[in-house]
Amino acid sequence: MSGNLRRGAVTLPILTSAWRLIRGNPAIWAILGLLIIFSSIVPERFLSSGNLIAILKNFAVTSMLAVGPTFVILLGSIDVSYMGIWMFGGALVWLLYPYLGLASIFIYPIFGLLIGLFNGVLHVKAKIPSFILTLAMTAVLAFLTTYVRNISGVLTLTVPAYNFLRESPIPYLPSPFLLALPTIAISIFLMFFTKLGTYLCAIGSNEEGAKLAGINVEKYKVLAFMFSGFLVGLGSIAIFVHLGNQTRVDFDPSELVRGLAAIVLGGTPLAGGMGGPHRTLLGALVYVLIFNGLFLLPGVDPNHLKLYIGALLLGAVVIASKALKGALIA
Amino acid sequence: MDIQKQLLEAKNISKTFDNVVRALDAVTIEVRKNEILSVVGENGAGKSTLMKILVGVYPPDSGELYHIGQRIPFPRNPIEALRRGISIVYQERGVIPHLKVYQFLFLGLEEKFTRLGRLQLEKIIGIAKSVFDELGVRCDLGSYMYELPLSTQKMVEIAKAILSIRLAIGDSGAPDITPIIILDEPTAPLSIEERDELFQYLLNLKKNNSFIFVSHIIPEVMKFSDRIYVLRDGKLVAHHDLSVEKVSEEQLFREIVGRVSYYELYGGHEYGRAEAEGRPIILSVRNLTKKGYYQDITFDLREGECIGLFGPAGCGKSEIAKTLYGELLADSGKLIVDNKEISIKGEPHSRLRRGIGYFSGETGKELFLYWPIKKNVSIVNFEKIVRSPLKIVSVISFKAEKILAEKIVKKLRIKAPSVDTECYSLSGGSKQKVSVGKWLERSPKILILEDPTIGIDVGAREDIYEVLLEMKKNGISMILVSDDPKEYAILCDKIVLMRDGKIQKMYTNEEFKKVMEL
Amino acid sequence: MRESIPSREWLQRNLNTIIPVSGLILLLIGLRIANPYFLASWDSVITLVYGMSFFLVAACGLTLVILMGSFDFSVPSVLKLSAMIFAVLYPSLGFLSIPAALAVSLVFGFVNGLLLARFNIPSFMATLATSMIAEGAAQVISGGYTRMITDPAFRALSTTMIAGLPSIFYWAIAIWLISIFLTFVTPFGRAIYAVGGNLVGARLAGINVKMVRILTFMVCSLFAGLSGILYASQIQAGHMQVGVLDMIPLFASVVVGGTALTGGVGGVHRTLLGVLIIRWLDSGLSMLAIDLNVRMIVFGVIAIVMAILTIDRRRIKIMK
Repeated sequence: MSGNLRRGAVTLPILTSAWRLIRGNPAIWAILGLLIIFSSIVPERFLSSGNLIAILKNFAVTSMLAVGPTFVILLGSIDVSYMGIWMFGGALVWLLYPYLGLASIFIYPIFGLLIGLFNGVLHVKAKIPSFILTLAMTAVLAFLTTYVRNISGVLTLTVPAYNFLRESPIPYLPSPFLLALPTIAISIFLMFFTKLGTYLCAIGSNEEGAKLAGINVEKYKVLAFMFSGFLVGLGSIAIFVHLGNQTRVDFDPSELVRGLAAIVLGGTPLAGGMGGPHRTLLGALVYVLIFNGLFLLPGVDPNHLKLYIGALLLGAVVIASKALKGALIA
Repeated sequence: MDIQKQLLEAKNISKTFDNVVRALDAVTIEVRKNEILSVVGENGAGKSTLMKILVGVYPPDSGELYHIGQRIPFPRNPIEALRRGISIVYQERGVIPHLKVYQFLFLGLEEKFTRLGRLQLEKIIGIAKSVFDELGVRCDLGSYMYELPLSTQKMVEIAKAILSIRLAIGDSGAPDITPIIILDEPTAPLSIEERDELFQYLLNLKKNNSFIFVSHIIPEVMKFSDRIYVLRDGKLVAHHDLSVEKVSEEQLFREIVGRVSYYELYGGHEYGRAEAEGRPIILSVRNLTKKGYYQDITFDLREGECIGLFGPAGCGKSEIAKTLYGELLADSGKLIVDNKEISIKGEPHSRLRRGIGYFSGETGKELFLYWPIKKNVSIVNFEKIVRSPLKIVSVISFKAEKILAEKIVKKLRIKAPSVDTECYSLSGGSKQKVSVGKWLERSPKILILEDPTIGIDVGAREDIYEVLLEMKKNGISMILVSDDPKEYAILCDKIVLMRDGKIQKMYTNEEFKKVMEL
Repeated sequence: MRESIPSREWLQRNLNTIIPVSGLILLLIGLRIANPYFLASWDSVITLVYGMSFFLVAACGLTLVILMGSFDFSVPSVLKLSAMIFAVLYPSLGFLSIPAALAVSLVFGFVNGLLLARFNIPSFMATLATSMIAEGAAQVISGGYTRMITDPAFRALSTTMIAGLPSIFYWAIAIWLISIFLTFVTPFGRAIYAVGGNLVGARLAGINVKMVRILTFMVCSLFAGLSGILYASQIQAGHMQVGVLDMIPLFASVVVGGTALTGGVGGVHRTLLGVLIIRWLDSGLSMLAIDLNVRMIVFGVIAIVMAILTIDRRRIKIMK
């Protein structure tokens, strides 16, 4: 019995937690492994500065879609409205630019926050399964975006005035990456330095117990959706800039899978209670490295992309399913 | 009575639910400084209601509360209770497995350790460390709760209760209150060794705190408490101060279950016992073991025989029942049904194919509440109602289904307008009857009964016993797990006495009744 | 005692029948007023039948899965893949390509069921992943090109006129009837309802929950595959746009019919109603020259509203 009790309590919390971080995050090993594999097979192409910058850019895009929804996944729910927020938020920026000028980019986080609030209230009060709810939300917003494009008679919803955002003040660090940093910082702060992160884990791990500890579960559930929407909105600015100051106008399910795959690869189980945005960042890096390296290899057909994405997601959820033992799954 | 030592007194507390059910009837209890006080009783005796009144979950209908001789109002919510120094540790739902120990310790208490929305982690960890040092909880603050042994999890929960009282009292500025910690069945999920560990911990903490220990596990109560209150049907029936008097386990047991003989209770029916000896053995359990729950269980069940697994809660009886039905996996041992060995790692459906059925009184779990009675009955009786006109597909005959359900409804005297009535609209007793009725026609070789009559009235009980005894007469063997010794006396031919996961003794029905003085 | 006026309780209990039926009637009246040519000629009826039939086949399968309390995201993708296999293999194998397409569909259903039953992966996630694989596979075997088939026999599968209606109509109705038969009068159907209604209870009553889950997903994918074959025959081709916009209307028609997302409530018989509403609404709106994207938005909103109305909240303790 006492073998399970670790003596020495908290002598070196930082070192202990650093070790825990590495031990508890297989994604770190995966990243190291991928780096070694690709830099030994295709060193010239993989390690070129152009490719490394591309990796950073793609990392920014992938992580910005996935970091926010991680907060909802902590609850054991799921939020896939990020595609809709990203797409239609961009359309709103385009629509409002003539009226608001450069400030219209701030529509993104506000819009995200509102959609998150809407999702959260509907999920908590009307008790709709979050996956169906947020998927329908994404679909509605995506079709709305395409509709805006169709009726306005342009090919893309581009706002050239933001071109100055594309210039990076720091060499080798592309501007989408820099624009992603605030979102990353906020999410890490929320997770580790406020009670929100703890509460969301508590609700995901044992909702009834969280209630007994005096937590207002419904409030924090809505808050999770709100932060999810807000962070996606804020992060979408980076994606907006990355795509050339425009937004996507046609819905592509493989983009939807990208966010989910980053979360699952990072090791936040779908059942909730564990993980967090830090893991999602690692997961996003794994995802980006896999696809970046894969298409540098000879004989890999980019037309088969969806096949690989599907297989990767499948593999990731099967590996992550170990954490779901014993739960009743629908 | 030593007034100096008195801490809290709740006088003449009564509580009625929905103007019908009298949960508590003028109950008076007193908590003294630095003691472990046990409140014991059967399920539904009113223990939980009393505790919920003390922590402000329910208001009482009448009664008075005194704190060190001074009259105080009843707490209106758990936070007010904390300010008065009363906190509760719930049975098993309280622990949050995926939080780190210090996160869990401070869950819901972060308010004072937040500056501008930022948690002061260093301060939290510092306090957590000093609290654990003081209370003697030995574990790594950075581990997750699920990594700790169950007993340590309980200790952390108790530390959390003490800490939350301290933080709440810090507000009101009355520092010298002795905390009262209510432990609601704390040992239920623990293994035998873990229980001893937990109790050693409680004995250590006794010098600064008082504990109210809610339980129905008699040996533990006897071993560790200073005083014992016995509740039965909402009334206080006994009070023992173990420092001045000696009480035997049997005496306590009888006080808990009551002295009413089962003949009086069930209208003087005399149920005949089956002559099981000499009939073929239908189930042999050999050396069945699951670590931490039960060990080396061996017994034989004959055709038409009912064996009861009897013992205090936590003795492993319900785990054995679950293993036999395929809900829980055993580590080792053998199961032989009808002279054929079956895997100890089966699932319920494969067990049913071998002829092992399961019936529990928890109808919410087992019934399809929004289905009509007939569908609930036919769910295990497809063989009886399915026709294969073309020999390819099996088709449910609705006529046969209805006839089958009507037969059962009539036999069990289920009060329902028709067999198309949805089950949720039935009374508790009728629901249970539907639940057991489905096995009447299926006739499994063995039926596992877990608390078959929990929470229903005497009339419905009698009907269910009648059905079960008739099934027994028709050659169905049974294994009973229950909390009610009367039930064993009525249904069982043999009673296996269990304790700490092991078989202690085997009684015949007559011996059992004599021992229990039923 | 029967009351002559429908009581509040009666209304509440039959809400998921009243809404679709009255919705259908209102829709018919509305479309007729908005467009006098709606259902005015036999030709327009046939057009509607073509729009509905393949759709009904796939919706029946999805209904079974939703009744079981799960969700299958891969229906449109399996539909597409099956259509593609049928079209690609037809020149070499002839009608033997049908069993090939159906076999592949069954494999997808088996994998979906296995991921849920054996690996405990939430079905929406598992089927999202397999749908990507099906999409990818369709892309790989076709190279992304449209495969036109001009053989009249290929087309005859769906378009032979029998008693004034194309054969695809009879296929669809047959599948619908088979599904109703399956759910209402076989033990397997009862088990689907049991698993959707009370998972623990189903287990305790000795139902092989894993087997039921796998089989139901297999039936669902089989129907999706069949739907793809019929559709490919109807349009004389397999191409990458097949099924792309079907997920939302499919989901909408299941819940509009009155099958609750939580499982155990509703039925395949209702799905016909849902399909009628959604497809008529679709054709009505497109006749009014309303943008495809707007139509999709309308379906999405309808689906969510109906999901809110039909979900069985009595049973939910914790909603994820």
